[in-house]
Amino acid sequence: MNSTSQLVEHFFRHEYGRLVALLTRDFGVRNLELAEDVIQSAMSRALVVWPRSGTPTEPSAWLYRTAKNLAIDNLRRQKLAQGFLDAAIAVSEESSTTIATLPHFDSEIGDETLRLLFLCCHPAIAVDSQVALALKTVSGFGVHEIALGLLTTSANIEKRLTRAKEKMRELHLELSEMTFTEVLERREAVLSTIYLIFNEGYAATTGDVPIRLDLCWEAIRLAKMVAAHPVADSPAAHALVALLLLHTARMDGRLDTEGGVVLLAQQDRTRWDGGLMREAMAYAQNAARGAELSRYHIETAIAWEHCRAPDFSGTNWERIVELYRLLLDRFATPMIRLNAAVARSYVEGPEVGHDLLLKLADSDRKQVRPWWDCCMAQLNERRGQHNSARSHWLDALALATAEPQRAFIRKQIERLSIKK
Amino acid sequence: MPKYLLIYRDSAEPQQPQPSPEEMQGFLKMWDGWFQQFEGKIVDGGDGLLPTGRVLKPGGVVADGPYVEAKEMIGGYSVVSANSYDEAIEIAKHCPIAVIGGAIEIRQLAEYN
Repeated sequence: MNSTSQLVEHFFRHEYGRLVALLTRDFGVRNLELAEDVIQSAMSRALVVWPRSGTPTEPSAWLYRTAKNLAIDNLRRQKLAQGFLDAAIAVSEESSTTIATLPHFDSEIGDETLRLLFLCCHPAIAVDSQVALALKTVSGFGVHEIALGLLTTSANIEKRLTRAKEKMRELHLELSEMTFTEVLERREAVLSTIYLIFNEGYAATTGDVPIRLDLCWEAIRLAKMVAAHPVADSPAAHALVALLLLHTARMDGRLDTEGGVVLLAQQDRTRWDGGLMREAMAYAQNAARGAELSRYHIETAIAWEHCRAPDFSGTNWERIVELYRLLLDRFATPMIRLNAAVARSYVEGPEVGHDLLLKLADSDRKQVRPWWDCCMAQLNERRGQHNSARSHWLDALALATAEPQRAFIRKQIERLSIKK
Repeated sequence: MPKYLLIYRDSAEPQQPQPSPEEMQGFLKMWDGWFQQFEGKIVDGGDGLLPTGRVLKPGGVVADGPYVEAKEMIGGYSVVSANSYDEAIEIAKHCPIAVIGGAIEIRQLAEYN
């Protein structure tokens, strides 16, 4: 008897995305909800059958066949147009032979999953809905898992999903009707959605840690999928994979053994993952072909400068400032402005950094608090202004919600009180 | 050795969130572990039950089922062999249904024939 322990990690989660892609191809995106229902039922059935009769030799094919038969039964009950049904059933009978040849099956689903991801990133769907929809349908996360990962409620995620699905119905979006040009045009949106998923997982040090890590690895998996595809691929996709790997390589070093925040300057660089850095560099080399210079290229170059510095004082800040200047020309978000100002303070001194942060418009500042307050506090301390440093830390504490971050800020306030 | 029927009672509350694929893989692993742990004891793995049903009432009246009295619904069953209720309860305690917070009714088979 085959044991389910042979199933790879996240097998059901990844399988869910493949099955949504295959079933929406077979029955149309208009039947997305039906597809999700029958996949859930097929998996429930596997829970009963597999432990009792053994895991099938091809579990993917088993799930697909079971879900598809359930969908056909359901559609038959709905008494849909007979012509369409006959066609669907014919496809189903044919697919039993397709399933036997797994390599073809595998490449086919890779393609369908990507199509689904591209469909989720349709410009008419709001970006926060795109993220929720991609995580639910392409990545196979549960609603409550998405809510945990994005630090919001299940009800909110349900709302975003409903809105996205309404939009899809309204526009009659279908996988088969997505043109080659549309795929090319949507590449950038797809990469930015993947980057957003990664940042959601990476940014906060609060919440459910395993789920947040899962989001990071899922973003990497999706980015690699795009980079490996002959049509969807672009140098920017390779640069994004490199960037995400470089961030992930340093993830462990960001927290101490008690889960507290560790600043870059104090991080133990031996805890950074050399294997991931090497993998990132291979992607970065591929990203360098062609003339395209995306934000991911520049951000990868910045991350690489940090990775290759032997220690904090050995960081090539001149080069980093130069890269930020390049990045600001194309992509001046408040967070990038903030980081660029801090980088400049290590070249031109804390006064310059301090002035740059003060020049940040109120509306921009609002988006990057409490990080703005933390940076101001540190710059003030470097300027010898311990009182205003302390008051900025207090402002930061009032705004920070994540417990590890709050603990870190309290420690800084205590330290400065003793110094005084 | 006496045989016991384990009747799995799920909550019939409609508002229960669906388990995610990741959680389902976790359940699968738990079931597999249970079947392995009590390999010689589980006589019949049993089956799951679909949520629909009919109830035949006296006088030939047929109602849509299933027969729901409490806030629980029978979702499946297995048959185990054990020396006593205590042993049967021990086996049931390790069953994934019990582990994830469901109820299990344990009934000894009469074995009249």
